[in-house]
Amino acid sequence: MQLLWNGVVAGSLAALIAAGLALVYGVLGVFNLALGELVLLGGYATWWLHQVAHLPLIISIVGGLIFGGLCTWITFEVFVNPFYKHHRFLPLVTTIALSMILDGLILLIFEERPRSILSTGKHIYEVGPVHVTLEQIVLTLIALGILCAFAWMFHSTAFGRRIRAVVQHDHAALSLGINAPLLHRFVFIMSGIFAAAGGIFIGIDQNLTPIFAFPLTIKAYAAIIAGGKGNFWGAILCAYIIAFLEQFIVGVHWFGLFYIPAGYQQTVALLFIILFLLFRPQGLFSHTKRTA
Amino acid sequence: MDFLLHIIALMGMMLPAILGYNLIFGRGKILHFGPVGVSVMSAYAGVLALTATQSFVLGGISALASALIVSTFFAWLSLKLEPDGLGVMSIAVHLAILAVVLNWNGLTRGALGIPRVPRMPFLDSVADFALLSVMIAACVAAGMHHVDRSSFGRKLRALAEHDWHARSLGIDKAYVHFTAFLIAGVCSAVTNFLFPQYLVLLHPNDYQFPALVFTVMLVVAGGPGSVMGVTLSTILLVSLKEALRFVPLAPSVLGPVRLMLFGAILFVAVWWRRDTLFPKARSV
Repeated sequence: MQLLWNGVVAGSLAALIAAGLALVYGVLGVFNLALGELVLLGGYATWWLHQVAHLPLIISIVGGLIFGGLCTWITFEVFVNPFYKHHRFLPLVTTIALSMILDGLILLIFEERPRSILSTGKHIYEVGPVHVTLEQIVLTLIALGILCAFAWMFHSTAFGRRIRAVVQHDHAALSLGINAPLLHRFVFIMSGIFAAAGGIFIGIDQNLTPIFAFPLTIKAYAAIIAGGKGNFWGAILCAYIIAFLEQFIVGVHWFGLFYIPAGYQQTVALLFIILFLLFRPQGLFSHTKRTA
Repeated sequence: MDFLLHIIALMGMMLPAILGYNLIFGRGKILHFGPVGVSVMSAYAGVLALTATQSFVLGGISALASALIVSTFFAWLSLKLEPDGLGVMSIAVHLAILAVVLNWNGLTRGALGIPRVPRMPFLDSVADFALLSVMIAACVAAGMHHVDRSSFGRKLRALAEHDWHARSLGIDKAYVHFTAFLIAGVCSAVTNFLFPQYLVLLHPNDYQFPALVFTVMLVVAGGPGSVMGVTLSTILLVSLKEALRFVPLAPSVLGPVRLMLFGAILFVAVWWRRDTLFPKARSV
């Protein structure tokens, strides 16, 4: 039961990060390999505002989200937009460069020490055999709330219909008067805000350390590849599946016979990428581009 | 003088692997990000066979065979997957191999690495390594120049420019891709058989993600596909990387500064080479 709850918490975090990324891939068709660093920037900004500038937690979180959005906007304007129209593979290389720059910057400013957004101890409750913290419950509910609100906007509003039109066919949407370039920016910045929210989630539930960046990126990509590139719901579902598998496969004695060391936890997401790309490259829930 | 010889030895040892990768990524425009995955397999297979048998021939054969097996796998993937899928897949395979290396403590000693790697009898000093590696690098560079100008090089270039136009002209994509990856695999085996002997240590940190970024940067900065350009960029950027050791900064500052510097160089190189890295296909 404890592993199940751990899976729910880890899955909510991964779903938050992967959902935004799935939309970016659906709309732009580009991979952003600096995503993990953008996650950490949102978390570290919140930590700085709360622990160093001593602002109230809510204001620090809003500040962290705004900072994450701003960083993502700059990323789009400098590292993605000038390149992806030229060739859609170029941002894959430019965002690798950005990830190196941000890694260095994070190490230089925040150092390798773990940083926790909350200075006080966590409120631990025992629900049967399961240890649950109040912070985990609140964070999981907020993450689900954010995803549901975005899903409602995506599926039930005129604005959401425009985004779906751009996802289905960029040029056709443009010819119908939809401002596709503006929506590209919007979706990219939204993915950054989701990523920053993920960073705040980590900073409150655990500790922020620079080494988290790359595993987070890999897990998010595993989810969007397995879910069907660009499929919002597929990415969310697969983020949860990966999180559960990480909890249940690694670090557990299987029938008392064998044991997979915890060091292999990141490998679950890597195996997901490898197996899906080999045997089902279109993912679980692929959708085809509509043509006339 | 020793430092100069050290830099020459490093350049000479790195150049075969970099030129091999240049053939795939630079000339073939194949979005392959797994050269370090090939390197880590080759290096560990070579050193493990060498330490177990004390035979340099078996060590060399082992390094070569494992490099060729992983290269063949990547070549097969390049035919099977979409280009961006190959990019992500090759990173995933590299990191999966590294995870096994780091966690299989009984075989690889995990994060501690393998110390006391034996050196070939005629490689006693830095000068010996510098001389041998320069000779090998010169042979590889000449060979790559020849490959680039040959009909094989033209086929690779044609496939890079327009896949199905090239295939409609009778170019066998599978043959070209497998050959390119196998050539790169041989080059990688040469580098990774010598490098641990030079350091007398095989350490997994030398094969982490920043090593991939450095490799991509050398190819992009030198001009993708250009043997001369990539050779020059290797000379300049390896010298820069080693010279940074003398900057009077604390190690906790120098590491991040180095990351930022090489990230910025890669970005500027992509900006500068954006027309040649992935050029737009010509059309009639």
